[in-house]
Amino acid sequence: MFGLFNKSKDSEKNQANKETLPEWYAELEETQTRWFSFAEKLEAKMEELVTASVPELKQVLQEDEDMYKRTFQRVYSGVNGQLNNIRDKARDTYEEKIDSIYYDLDSQISVLDKNHDLLSEFRRACSDRYNHFDDKFDYWRKELEKTQERDLEIEYQKILDEYEAIKNKFSCTQCGGNIEIEKIFLIETFISCPYCKTQNTFAPSTQARNLQNIARGLAEQRTAHLYEAFETEDKKERELYHLRHELSLSKIHESDKKVLSEIQAKMDDLEEQRQFAIKNAPKLYQIYLRAMYDEWNKITPDLKEHNEKMYQNQITQ
Amino acid sequence: MEEKKVNSFLDRLKQKAQSQTNYGGEMEINDAKMNVRDCPNCGAGRAKQDGVTHCAYCGFEFITLKLTDGVYIKKEDNSI
Repeated sequence: MFGLFNKSKDSEKNQANKETLPEWYAELEETQTRWFSFAEKLEAKMEELVTASVPELKQVLQEDEDMYKRTFQRVYSGVNGQLNNIRDKARDTYEEKIDSIYYDLDSQISVLDKNHDLLSEFRRACSDRYNHFDDKFDYWRKELEKTQERDLEIEYQKILDEYEAIKNKFSCTQCGGNIEIEKIFLIETFISCPYCKTQNTFAPSTQARNLQNIARGLAEQRTAHLYEAFETEDKKERELYHLRHELSLSKIHESDKKVLSEIQAKMDDLEEQRQFAIKNAPKLYQIYLRAMYDEWNKITPDLKEHNEKMYQNQITQ
Repeated sequence: MEEKKVNSFLDRLKQKAQSQTNYGGEMEINDAKMNVRDCPNCGAGRAKQDGVTHCAYCGFEFITLKLTDGVYIKKEDNSI
């Protein structure tokens, strides 16, 4: 009645279960254990690779004198390739060992067979472990990606300093009159002498030309807080949905009307918040986009017309 | 043992990356400079009001294309 006497029955039942376990189950169990320990080893390898690489990569980036940081990019691609190899290894092994054994047995055992659950359970456990591995892979890949970030403000400041230094340095090649460089030019341009009107050709330095390459990155860096606000709002929808879903599940075994109405009120509130997030996220994205382009235009005003066309394309997508 | 392996892999990778040459050769780093182009035919300079495509004196053709509006060059820079 109170389950006091069930204990012995349960153990008897377990005993009986063990006896009736099919012979292929031992193989499944072994494969599962081996897969788990293999995934664990691969995870340890990933962790070791990335934790050792991150400080090295940061150092290489700092020491790389190339304007496009190509030495850093080569080392980065090498490490990234190794990380991808580990993931490939996991995928291949999963297909070779887990999938094959599952499909092999699945074709032999009917779904109506009482032991088919064991097979499904095996597959679920192994695939969950694989997903867990994939999550870890994503985490380490992001850690690696972070090493690419560099402070573009420093590079921008160098360009500004250079401009300040050269803006009054030039004189007309024809008459020797002083020519002021009125802004940061991104490509060769004609500047006419204010005295003799001769068209001088001004060629900007390699560093100044690079401004158009870093401008967008810098604008994004400056408006990163707005993008983060959008991302948080964008993720909220799923979070609220799951919270609401959990509440709706808790209603199933609840019969107290007062509690039920309380849960319903909470659910309605969550739904309202969710609907707000759905509407608000695109608005926040628009705010970010406009601010980013404004910032970009401030850095390279000469490219404003071109950038605005790009902006129009982006918002009408 | 494992850690040694990772470190030696990274060292080799770094060495290779540093010794590898860039596609297209070394990069040229130039300072800003100012220049002027006189007419190779008659030696006259080019003035703002005369445009940049032809020499105002002897008609020498500097640029064969007709200029359109760009970031810095405008169509007014065509010589008449």
